[in-house]
Order: sequence, then C-alpha cells, then structure tokens
Amino acid sequence: MKTKDELTDILDFIAEYATYMLGSGVHTSRVVRCSQRIGVSQGVDVQFSTFQKSTILSVRDEGSREVITRVVPIPALPISFQRNADLGALSWEALDENLSLADIRRKYELLISKPHIHPMIVLLTVGFANASFCRLFGGDWIAMGIVFISTLVGFSVKLRMQAQGLNHFLIFILTAFIASFCASVSLFLPCTSETALATSVLFLVPGVPLINGVTDIVEGHILIGCSRLVNAFLLIICLAIGLSATLLIMKEGLV
Amino acid sequence: MMAMDIILDGFFAAVAAIGFGAISDPPLRAFPRIAILAAVGHALRFCLMHYAGLDIATASLCAGVTIGMGSLWLGRGAHCPMTVLYIPALLPMIPGIYAYHAVFALVMFLQSLRDSVAELHYMQEFLVNATVALSVIFMLAVGATSPIFIFKHRAFSLTRRRDRSKETK
Repeated sequence: MKTKDELTDILDFIAEYATYMLGSGVHTSRVVRCSQRIGVSQGVDVQFSTFQKSTILSVRDEGSREVITRVVPIPALPISFQRNADLGALSWEALDENLSLADIRRKYELLISKPHIHPMIVLLTVGFANASFCRLFGGDWIAMGIVFISTLVGFSVKLRMQAQGLNHFLIFILTAFIASFCASVSLFLPCTSETALATSVLFLVPGVPLINGVTDIVEGHILIGCSRLVNAFLLIICLAIGLSATLLIMKEGLV
Repeated sequence: MMAMDIILDGFFAAVAAIGFGAISDPPLRAFPRIAILAAVGHALRFCLMHYAGLDIATASLCAGVTIGMGSLWLGRGAHCPMTVLYIPALLPMIPGIYAYHAVFALVMFLQSLRDSVAELHYMQEFLVNATVALSVIFMLAVGATSPIFIFKHRAFSLTRRRDRSKETK
C-alpha cells in the first residue's frame, strides 16, 4: 500500500515522462504502453486520455484503491527518435530490473539531457537528401546542385528564425518562399527547372506528424490522430503559400 | 542498364532517407538500417511501377509493407522501435511532385477564373494530383503500420534488452 505522497510522486513522474514522449513526436499507443509499463513496475494502474495540447492521467493504487488524477500540458519539443527509442527502453528496464522510482527518474534525466545531432551536420545531410530527392523525381545534375544550395539557404534561414522564436506557421511560409525563390534560378538555366522548383521545398514536409496521424487513426486513437493530421495540413498549407508566392512571381516562365 | 537504374534509385532513396531522418534526431545506430530500408522500399516501388505496370498507390502499399516488415526485423538488433526506422525510410516516397502539381494547379486555377476552359483544366489537374498525393501517403503509412497488428508481441518489445525467453509480462 502506498502513501498519498508516494502515489503523487509516481503520478508526477509518469505525467512528465508521458508528456515528454508525446511532445517529442511518439505515436499515442506507444506512449500509453510505455507509461503503463512504468506504472506496473511501481505497482500502480495508469490510465490516460490525451489530446493535442494536454493529457489527463489517473493513477490507481491497487492496495489502498486510492486514485489521483492530473491534467498536464504537453510541451512543444523538437521531434526526436533518439528520445523515442531511449525512453521506450527505459520502461522495459524499469519493469525487468524492478527499478525504484528514484532510479528511473535519475536515468530519465540522463536520457533527456543527451545532446541532439549537431545542426551543421543536419544542415548538410538535408541538403544532400533534397538533392537526391530531386534526382528521384527525374531531375538532372544542374537541378540537383540548385536544389542542394536552395535547401542549405532555406534550412539555415529556418534554423535562424526558430532560434529567434518566430511563429512556426510564419517560419514555414518564409522558408518555403526563400527556398523556392532560390530554386527559381533554374528557370534561367538549361535544366529540369520544374523538378528543381518542386523539390526545393520538400524538406519542409512534416512527414513525422503525417505518418503518426495515420498510425494513431488506424490504432483507434482517432481524435488525436485527426489533431495531428490537421496540424500537419496547416503546415503543408503554409508551405504551399510560400511556394505559391514564388510561382506567382515566376509563372510566366513555367506555363 | 535496368539493374543500374534500380541500384541508383535505391542509392538516392537511401541518401534522402538519411538526410530527412537526421531532422528528426534518430539514434546513430539506426542510420544504416534506415538507409537499407529506404533503398529496398524505394527500389521495390520503382520496379513495381516501371516493370510490373502497377499504379503508384498500390506500389506504395507494397513498399510500405516491405519497409514495415523490415523495420520489425532490423529493429531488434538496433533496439529501436519500428517507427524510428520506418518513418525516415518512408519519407523519400512522399509524392512531392504530385503535391507540387496540385499547388501549381490551384494557383493557376485562381488566376484563370474568367476563362472557363482553363478553369476546368486546372481544377481537374488539382483534384487528380491532390488525390494521388493523399492516397500514396495514406497507403505508405497503413502499409508500414500493418505488421504491428500481425506481430503485436514482437513489435511492442523491440527496445527490451532482456532475453524474451525470460519474459515476466
């Protein structure tokens, strides 16, 4: 049987753990499973409902039958597959090794303070990725070079704007405009200019929320799945607005 | 020549998957597996579309299922959940050209509201391209997720380090 303080500590930790995972782009059923696994390791039953911005968690002690509930906001964090894998592994470790709550929290703090991949490495790999994408869509070598440079410019401007804390819809519109405008240089060169323009903005496609949204829906978490899809579509609309601005300026060269 | 086309398609898909995956901060141990899955998936879709005459949505579904099964198989060795491997591997298959044509047709539709022939042409272009783009994304995600329903137990314990023969739950 647990005291109310012990039960509250468990709830507070699971609330932080679950919302961190949800904020890092983990699909819902996995967050529920991992949180419940940690609950089992601590001898409590965990149930929760989740929405786009907040989560409602209940923890029940089987011994005393006491139940505590909390509503917790979901933080806006960068998507991280590293955290997804590590925090999932932590839930298994907690269960298999019978870790105490203090040990789980200590390991959790270590895992979430691991460094992310360096932005300069990400910048270069995204440049090569988008150039390869251009090639997959039938682009030639000149178009690939233009897409590579446009992506470097667009992505570095995006990083700079994110560091300034600008609204993310605005960031998507401006980045899509800048990247596609740089790629419109291809209209004046002998190359597959349409492919270059089309692929220059594709690094902005929010692939993770799109796929997570469909995954949530097919796994029965329809409300949050739709929320994720709506969110992704808003970003795609912003991308389309930025691209449309370039197309309007350059449409004479494209029709 | 045919083999070269397939190899090049797989190679560029692997580079694209690694780059787009890097935005989402995967563990370093996942990168080689992401590259393999993306190359196999994209090359398979390329073959199905160009040599077997399949449409892009059905070919994407087949590629999605292959990537999903592959992530289940490779996830155990890297202690990575399936999503960490299959989401970056699916990204090079996002139908960017169709999405671009849909946006371009929408812009041109709005520019030609007084010309009924052009108006109809661009609206048709918009609907065709948007439908293909949405269907392909849906098929990819459903295809890659489907192995989770078939191999539930294995899919849910990929990050577990203890030997499965000693399972307690």
